[in-house]
Amino acid sequence: MEYLSTDKILIIDLAASKVEEEEVDESLVSSKIGGAGITKHLFEKHQDGGDPVVIGTGLLTGTTYPASATSVMTTKSPVTGKICHCPIIFKVGVEIKYAGYDYIVVKGAANAPVYLWIHDGVADIMDASNIWGKDVWESTDYLREFAGDDLLQTMLIGKAGENQLDHAQVCYNHWNSPDRFGIGKIFGSKNLKGFAFRGMGLIDAADPESFLGRSLEILKDIKSNSFMSKKGVGELGAAVGDNDLSAWLDPIVHRHSADYFTPYATITGLFMDEDPGLVEETKVAEPGVLVTDVSALSSCKKLGLSAEEAGRLLKACAKFGIDPLAVTRLSGKNSLEELQNAFEGLSGTLELPGNAVFSPWAPVKPIFNDFGLSGDSGELTAWWERRQAVALVFGIQPLFILMSPEITEENLLEMANIGTELEIDAETLNDVISYVSEAS
Amino acid sequence: MGIKIDALKCTNCMACEMACSFHRDDGFAFLSSSIMAYRAREKKDYFGVLLKEEENLITARPEGLDVSRIGEEADSDKEADASAKPILLREGCDLCEDMEDYGPLCVAICPVDAISYEE
Repeated sequence: MEYLSTDKILIIDLAASKVEEEEVDESLVSSKIGGAGITKHLFEKHQDGGDPVVIGTGLLTGTTYPASATSVMTTKSPVTGKICHCPIIFKVGVEIKYAGYDYIVVKGAANAPVYLWIHDGVADIMDASNIWGKDVWESTDYLREFAGDDLLQTMLIGKAGENQLDHAQVCYNHWNSPDRFGIGKIFGSKNLKGFAFRGMGLIDAADPESFLGRSLEILKDIKSNSFMSKKGVGELGAAVGDNDLSAWLDPIVHRHSADYFTPYATITGLFMDEDPGLVEETKVAEPGVLVTDVSALSSCKKLGLSAEEAGRLLKACAKFGIDPLAVTRLSGKNSLEELQNAFEGLSGTLELPGNAVFSPWAPVKPIFNDFGLSGDSGELTAWWERRQAVALVFGIQPLFILMSPEITEENLLEMANIGTELEIDAETLNDVISYVSEAS
Repeated sequence: MGIKIDALKCTNCMACEMACSFHRDDGFAFLSSSIMAYRAREKKDYFGVLLKEEENLITARPEGLDVSRIGEEADSDKEADASAKPILLREGCDLCEDMEDYGPLCVAICPVDAISYEE
């Protein structure tokens, strides 16, 4: 695959400690498009050695298409027992492609703890004995120091994953992730601490000038939308029904930031151990936490925690590598201390919407715009699943696709075809959406 | 005349970095950009933008702009940062002089209007 692609699939057999590469066949892109369409195909293809974990970039991930920030992790969820697709956000999703691979299949289990160091088209299985037992923050810091690069991007488990607890998350850099499927438990069972990515690749487009021109036209449409005056998780919460979230959170809000080229800032920095109004760089090493999880914050608020306590809980969850929503909903506790002490013994299941293949970290509601929906719950869930499927096939930020009607299936297909010179049609996209959305 | 950056408006999305490199490489990359999202202090939620001009390095911090002459000795009071070094090896901003349809691409692509061009 010459365009919008590194043309490389990485296949790692942890049991044999062996790394192989395959090309990305054009016919595979023509039939399954990309992202979750191809990760699911690879999951089904590589069943030797048990269920693999498959990471994949969207066809448009890391391009000039607005909000093309996202990659996807596909595996069988220990929570549901079914295939699930978890978004890879922040700057991690883009780094995977620029580190040299469109898709990464991880088969089998290692004999001893390892992590995978993926850098500039090279993949190394590395001894993880120096970080196994360390929390997510210590491990990310260690790997960045080891590589001498503060921009190295990680996907790691903490103690929750190592101990194969239910609701263990794969965290991204230092932060909690959309993993509501317990994928951290799978990493732990494979003796896989996680991934470190870094790369400075070059991705070609078949017609770069047209691709850029259409990207800027779509961006211009997006910038005329009223949500462009808003920022952060507080306003997202208000848009999906938690009207008080912003006022509750505001006293500890530092700044808002965005995933790669995502016009709405979906990441909010909370400062619990520094003045949130500080403009210059703090001298405090760990002043707070970055959050993206509206549901977890709302749940903390409902338990009666202060915003500062919620920030501290989310920071502790990120370090331990556990889903904060599972902690607040399933522990039966409602004080910060009790909640922090409930990680180890957490049990029970969270209800997942629809076919339970997409993460409700992205709220099952339209955000800021109504998308012409009637309010019927069946219609809403079907719409949400379709938008999430489209996001994870093309690589679009899963929250942004719920707020921006300017991101359409038509212009995504148009851009895919401008970028690749393929002729992927709406019928193929429909087939791929059905394929990735079905419970299996 | 030149690029103006408001680091307080910036959301650290890296679109400017992609656009600048696109202008030089005619493809999607971050390798050749004269402008970089400064994001090495992620745990501190501290970010801004670095811009290499022909003779100056502009550091757009939330608290204000620093302009330093390239080649002059760095202020020893300021902490050196390995992730900021690559930009010094790159070409200086040419204001996308060959992109007549758009003007400077970093300005055209910034989704939050943190970057502007002053004639």
